[in-house]
Amino acid sequence: MTTAANTEPLLQVRNLKVHFKTGRGRETVMAVDGVDFDVLPGETFGLIGESGSGKSTIGRVIACLLNPSSGEILHLGTDLSKATRRDRRFKRRDFQIIFQDPHAALDPRMSILQSVREPLDAIGAGTRAERDVIARELLDRIGLGAYYIDRYPHELSGGQKQRVNIARALTIRPKLIACDEVVSALDVSIKSDILNLFVELQAEYGLTYVFITHDLGVVSHISDRVAVMYLGRFVELGPTAEVTGKPLHPYTRALMSAEPVPLPRGMRGDDQRIVLQGEIPSPISPPSGCRFRTRCWKATSRCAEQVPVWREIEPGRWIACHFPGDEAPQGMSTVL
Amino acid sequence: MIEDPVTPGAATGNGAATSDAKRPDSVLEVKDLSIFFQLGRSEAQITKKVSFSVRRGERIGVVGESGCGKTVTALALLGLLPPNISRTEGSVEIGGRNLLRLPERELEGIRGRQVGMIFQEPMSALDPVFTIGHQLRETVMAHNKVSRREARERSIEALASVGIPAPERRYDDYPQQLSGGMRQRVMIAIALACKPQLLIADEPTTALDVTVQAQIVELLIDLTERTGTALLLITHDLGVVAEGCERIVTMYAGEVVEDGPVDRILLHPRHPYTSGLLRSLPRLAKPKARLASIPGRVPLPGEMPSGCRFAPRCTFADDRCALEQALAPAPGGTLARCCRSGELELQGALA
Repeated sequence: MTTAANTEPLLQVRNLKVHFKTGRGRETVMAVDGVDFDVLPGETFGLIGESGSGKSTIGRVIACLLNPSSGEILHLGTDLSKATRRDRRFKRRDFQIIFQDPHAALDPRMSILQSVREPLDAIGAGTRAERDVIARELLDRIGLGAYYIDRYPHELSGGQKQRVNIARALTIRPKLIACDEVVSALDVSIKSDILNLFVELQAEYGLTYVFITHDLGVVSHISDRVAVMYLGRFVELGPTAEVTGKPLHPYTRALMSAEPVPLPRGMRGDDQRIVLQGEIPSPISPPSGCRFRTRCWKATSRCAEQVPVWREIEPGRWIACHFPGDEAPQGMSTVL
Repeated sequence: MIEDPVTPGAATGNGAATSDAKRPDSVLEVKDLSIFFQLGRSEAQITKKVSFSVRRGERIGVVGESGCGKTVTALALLGLLPPNISRTEGSVEIGGRNLLRLPERELEGIRGRQVGMIFQEPMSALDPVFTIGHQLRETVMAHNKVSRREARERSIEALASVGIPAPERRYDDYPQQLSGGMRQRVMIAIALACKPQLLIADEPTTALDVTVQAQIVELLIDLTERTGTALLLITHDLGVVAEGCERIVTMYAGEVVEDGPVDRILLHPRHPYTSGLLRSLPRLAKPKARLASIPGRVPLPGEMPSGCRFAPRCTFADDRCALEQALAPAPGGTLARCCRSGELELQGALA
C-alpha cells in the first residue's frame, strides 16, 4: 500500500483491531480499531497522537506483547499470532520495544551489565564470556564505559538509564525497534543526546524504528513518514515533511498549530492558530462516523453518518476525512 | 488577546531590570534568596542568591533543566519548604512583608489570598474524597466571611470562568470523574478563587496532551489579563514560555543566569545555557541532523564548581570563568550571569 517498489515491508498491518474488555466484561475499549500501514526496512515510521489514541497499543502489538483482536499484522510476512510458540519466540527477536520510563524497565537488583546481558542469556547465545563481551561492547558504544558496568540503576541518571535500555534492545540485533515515548521523560538537552544516538545507531545497525510519541518536535525531527492517530484510527499518513508542512486532516492541522513554538510573537503564525474545544472522547463509546467530528470545526451531518474512508489522495499520502485540506464543507465557510 | 505591553524595544529599560530599587508596581520581590537543606550532618545549598521581581499583571516563565532549583524556589515563595530540614537567607517580599520570616498563621492568610499555586499533577493536588465543589467552597470560605450559599455561588462562578461546561452539575463531581484538562481547570479555579495578585504555576501543562495544553495556556493568558494577576510559570517547555510569557528567567544550578524579555532572549540569548536550551530543541532543527546538546549534567548541590557554575559544560568557558559571575546587564537589555555575554554572539531558537 505504501510506495517503495521492491523492498519487502518489515511489517504489514491490515485492519488491525485491539479491543480490551473492561467493566467486568460488559464494556469494550476499542484501543485500536482498524488500522492499516506498512513499515519498510530502514525507515523511521513516526506514530503521533494524544493519550488514549491507541499508539502505545500498536507498539505492543508490534513487539508481540499483545495479539490483535482481529485483522492481522505480518512480521516479515508471517502472522506470528498464528505461528507455533517456538516459531513465534524465535521470530519476535527481530522486533524489540523500548519504553518511556527508563527506570521501570530495569530490574533494580540487576547490575547494568546483567541487565544488558539478560536478553542474550534468555536466548542462550554463546558462552557467558561471549555474552559479557557483547554487552560490554554495546554499553561502550552507547556511551557508558567500564565505570558503569557494575553499577545499579539507582546510581544512574534518567538519560543514562535510557541508554542502558537501548543497549539492552540492541544485544540481540533486532531489525526493528518500537520506541514508545522514549525521550518524553528526559530533560531537553538529554533528549537531544538520546535522539542523536538513535539516529547514529540506525545508520550503524541498519535499524528500522517505529517512533511512538506525542511530541511533534521529536517526530518531525526523526521520522521519514508519520501517521497521525486519533481514538484508535489513523487520520493521516504520509512523508513527514508533507504531513507537518501541509497537513490535510483537520486534526493534524489542529495538532500542528497547538504545538507551542519557541519563537517570538509574530514569527509563529499565531493567526493560523486552531485551539480545539474539549478533549479526546472515550474509546469505550467513540462517536459515530468520523471519530474526530465532535471536536472538528468542519464537521457536518455527513461526518456523523459516514465513516470517512481511508484513502490515498496523493501517492503515499493517506487520509480519512470527508473534507480534507482547505476545502470547506458545502454551505459552510471555514472558521479559522 | 491584548497586545503585548512589553515591546522588545521598550522593554530594555524596565522589563528586564531586576534592580535593587523597589518598584511601586511590583507584587513580588525576591532578593538574594538562598535555600539550604540539611542532609544528615551536612548542609547543601539548593539555591544561591536568587533575585527577581514580578510586576503587577506580568507573566514570567522560569526555565531550566530538572535540578536547577525552579520548583524549590516556587515553594519558598509560598513558605512551603519543610521547616525542619531547610534554612533560608534573603527575602521574599509580597505586599511589603518578608514571607520567609512570617509565622505560619500569617502565611495562611497570604497563600490563596495573595498568592495562588497550581501544580503539574492536578490529581495529586485535589482530594479524591471530596467533591470539587466542596474543595472550591472551602477555599472561598477560608479567606472570606461569606455564607455557605454565597460561597457555593462564587465557586460555581469560578468554575464557569475557567471554562468548565455546566458548572452547576460539575460542582458535585469528584476529581476522578473529570479529565486531566478539566482537573487542571479546577485547580486554576481554586487558585484564583480569592483573586490573588500572583499565580505560581509549576509545570501546569506537562501532564496534558498538546491540544489540551494549548487550551490551558490560552486560559492562563486570558485569566491573568482579565484579572491583572501576575503569573510565574515554571516550565521546561520554551514553547509554552514563548506563547504565554513576557519575560524569561533562566535558572541553572540554583542561580538565575539570565533574565529578560522573551522575544529578545528567544532570538538573542546572552547566556550560553539559555542558548544551549534553545538550540537543543528538535522542532526547529533540520530533520535527522545532529541536534545540539549540552554535555554533562547539572551538578549536585554538594558539587558546585567554585566559579561560573555552568563553566564545566560550557563550550565558551575560559580563564575568567573560574571567577564567580555576577548577574549583570548584557547587550540587548537582558541580565546575564556571564562575563563573556558582551562579546559572544550566541545562537537562539533560529540557526
